[in-house]
Amino acid sequence: MNGQGLIKGLAITLKHFFQKEITEQYPDVMPELAPRFRGCLRFEFEKCIACGICVNSCPNDVLSFETEKRDKSKKKKLLSYTIDFQYCMFCNLCVEGCPTSCLSFDHDFELSQFKREDIKMIYLRPEGLDEAQDSPADQEEQKDKEQKQIAAMLKALQKSPQKVLSKLLEGEEDINILSELIQSDQKTAGKIAELIVKDKEKAVKVATGFINKDRKNRAQKGENGEGGDKDV
Amino acid sequence: MEPLFINLAEAFTGWMISLGLDPGWAEAVLLVVKWIIVVTIITVNIIILIWLERKVSAFFQERLGPNRLGPFGIFQTIADAIKLLTKEDIVPSAADKLIFKTAPMFFIVVAVMLYTVIPMGKGMQVINLNVGLLFFISVGSLSTIALLMAGWGSNNKWSLMGAVRSVAQMVSYAIPLAFSLLGVVMITGSLNLQDIVLAQDKWWFVILQPIAFITYFIAATAELNRGPFDMPEAEQELTGGAYTEYTGMRWALFFLAEYTNLVAVSALMATVFLGGWQGPWLPSWLWIIIKTYAIILVFFWVKWTFPRIRMDHLMSFSWKVLVPVSLGNILLTGAGIYFCRWMGWC
Amino acid sequence: MLESDIYTVNVGPIHPSTHGGLHAEAIMDGEIIENVIVHLGYVHRSVEKIAEGKTYQQYVPYTARLDYLATNLPVLGYCQAVEKLLGIEVPERAQYIRVIMAELSRIASHQIAISATGIDLGATTGLMYGMRDRERIMNIFEMTGGQRLLSSYIRIGGVAADIPDGFIPAVMSLVQDIPGMMDEYNGLMTGNEIWAARMQGVGILTPETAIQYGVTGPNLRASGIAYDLRRAEPDGIYHRFEFDIPTRNGGDSLDRWQVRIDEIGESGRIIEQALEGMPNGEISTRVPKVLKPEPGKEVYHRIESAKGELGYYIVSDGSSKPYRLHVRAPSFINLMVLPVICRGGVFQDLITNIATLDPILGESDR
Repeated sequence: MNGQGLIKGLAITLKHFFQKEITEQYPDVMPELAPRFRGCLRFEFEKCIACGICVNSCPNDVLSFETEKRDKSKKKKLLSYTIDFQYCMFCNLCVEGCPTSCLSFDHDFELSQFKREDIKMIYLRPEGLDEAQDSPADQEEQKDKEQKQIAAMLKALQKSPQKVLSKLLEGEEDINILSELIQSDQKTAGKIAELIVKDKEKAVKVATGFINKDRKNRAQKGENGEGGDKDV
Repeated sequence: MEPLFINLAEAFTGWMISLGLDPGWAEAVLLVVKWIIVVTIITVNIIILIWLERKVSAFFQERLGPNRLGPFGIFQTIADAIKLLTKEDIVPSAADKLIFKTAPMFFIVVAVMLYTVIPMGKGMQVINLNVGLLFFISVGSLSTIALLMAGWGSNNKWSLMGAVRSVAQMVSYAIPLAFSLLGVVMITGSLNLQDIVLAQDKWWFVILQPIAFITYFIAATAELNRGPFDMPEAEQELTGGAYTEYTGMRWALFFLAEYTNLVAVSALMATVFLGGWQGPWLPSWLWIIIKTYAIILVFFWVKWTFPRIRMDHLMSFSWKVLVPVSLGNILLTGAGIYFCRWMGWC
Repeated sequence: MLESDIYTVNVGPIHPSTHGGLHAEAIMDGEIIENVIVHLGYVHRSVEKIAEGKTYQQYVPYTARLDYLATNLPVLGYCQAVEKLLGIEVPERAQYIRVIMAELSRIASHQIAISATGIDLGATTGLMYGMRDRERIMNIFEMTGGQRLLSSYIRIGGVAADIPDGFIPAVMSLVQDIPGMMDEYNGLMTGNEIWAARMQGVGILTPETAIQYGVTGPNLRASGIAYDLRRAEPDGIYHRFEFDIPTRNGGDSLDRWQVRIDEIGESGRIIEQALEGMPNGEISTRVPKVLKPEPGKEVYHRIESAKGELGYYIVSDGSSKPYRLHVRAPSFINLMVLPVICRGGVFQDLITNIATLDPILGESDR
């Protein structure tokens, strides 16, 4: 008291007068950002599998995408991906949820735009990005899935061939013939199961071929001598 | 270097007379020229001073301060001045327009008038008034009226509160301000500022009158409305006090006038307590500049360290501490003078 | 005698010292405050209503916006409330990380309180020193959560990511520098005579009034009541740490200010202990993507936030979104004593009182 505090305060400010300044000279010297810094949200089109987890986890409806059904498989084809960045609150929930890590935050924090429209980031499907050119990770996953499906189908086929085949073929006789074939021959069963999973039309064709061949074989056995048709 | 400006003035007068002008008229013209020079110096000086305060306050706060325009950001104030000049001039519709508009002009005129009597070097003065100190004190307290005009004219509660506070504060602090200078006047026996400077050739009055120096410093801070006594402005409380409604150049005039006052008061302090223009080696006009700036830096230092005082504490501090202390100082000085005479020292 | 009349001055919502959108209508007689009417709602964002339209996980970032100066504390409170609702256990390591982040947030909040009081009282330099030191905490938040102010780091079931390299040294050096920081604040402001004169005996909050109004946090402790939820009802693992509850007896502005400075030191102690005791292991339990609590279940969970008792009341209807969520915001309740402590003081005391009550409008208006 009695002025000592005042003098102490003056001494502290004087000490700082001669200390080094701590100002960050931002535009001249870019700040050092931590690796986890969340700047601008980036999207990688090639990796996206259009699962929609990001859209569901976003608290502010920032993310949205458009898809198209792929003709042959159940998988959706991503057409465009939109990040309405003005509503983003950088909470990281979408990035944490993304299974293929196609969303990420980079270190770009200079996000101001002159026009409101420019804030919205729309990613369109790049030209030449076809189903075949899906990312290797994606393909592998698809393969795995298929393999599992085939195995399941094979099991079902071997267990109750009539029930499964009734969905594929019409004639009862045909079904019976093929069922016998499947139960007797592991290879045929495998082939049919694979085709059912991959391509039903082809499966029908092949199945009919097998049946025809079997018929001919039987006829040959019966008539002793007529040549077999090997066009299957 | 020493008589540079005096020689210039003499040469100018001589040139005027050689043109066939009556010597009396030549003196009058010289006075006008002196005034113009003083006003120019004030303006340029203030541009530097504003930059300096921003820089110094930044250093106290571990910042860099202005550093974009020119070397060390020295052109920042000029850019700000251009900005303020081109800003829209808003006069509130409910304001008392005449008072509102004249207040800033009045403030700056009063502030510039202070420079009339300050000795800026050996024999360098606009007017060598024999009651210079009295003139300074009386003109200095006129700025209260300008602040009251601004506060009243704005027709805004914040402004009025700021104005009322400033009147109370400045009236209260004018008394210790004058009393603290009285000790010096008693020693020199003159109100002429040149005489006061000459009286300090052996001892600066800061040594003979330390109490007066401190009381004057505190009272001057209050008179200048500077922190920690910046009641009339008080951004954090009164959102700008008396200046709340002012914009653009009108506001800038207040700002300018405050700094003009700051320089004037610091120069007077240097003149009365720190030996004025007296000093070895360097020319006299440089000495006064150095001393003035040293005092200004102390003002900055104090402002950027202390919190604002509360209004009622401010008033009681003036009446209960500063006035008695400065009165006691007068008593002490008188006793000292008698003691000296009795001992035969002076 | 001159006749005098009372008049009103509207402090805020646009005013340099109202910490956001506070509007205090001061009814004054000259410089003396007759009464203060607090008007709230300028920062109302219907945070409670938003919760009803968001899933439990989606709402986490919103809670950070309640008390944006102590960002991890409201998030922690909410996550713990949801964990209580669903009976989720949090791994040990996550508990320790949470304590460190919570205490860092508390320090950050108190530093804002301290430095903002500085600028409100005219000591601009005090603001800069406080902010300078706070910056180090912000850098730690950036390091762990990726964001400085609203780091969105604590999640239901644990934390978002493990602490990065360089986290422990950064926190350690910060904790070691805390006494130096406190010396500086005390030297520049607390010890200053002008400062003491502006604060001593200003805005006295008696313990009785404090309890009547439900004031909590540092404001209550400044009135001499050693009530801290970290001790009275420890959430998480707070019972494992040794710390003092700083109290003062006067209940005036200076006491409120000093309690906050002391609490910074205590938080530093807790962080030190947490750093020592932190085990290795999981940082989060596996939480299902869709959280569906039992229908009709309700929970109230409260923690000691930087401003006082922060409570979350959640009612579930069995869906993935809360049926009702209510926030017991300490700032809102603490602000209600503003008229009581301002009455009879001068106008400048109002500014001091707002500053030392340290309300955060994001929380009180919700």
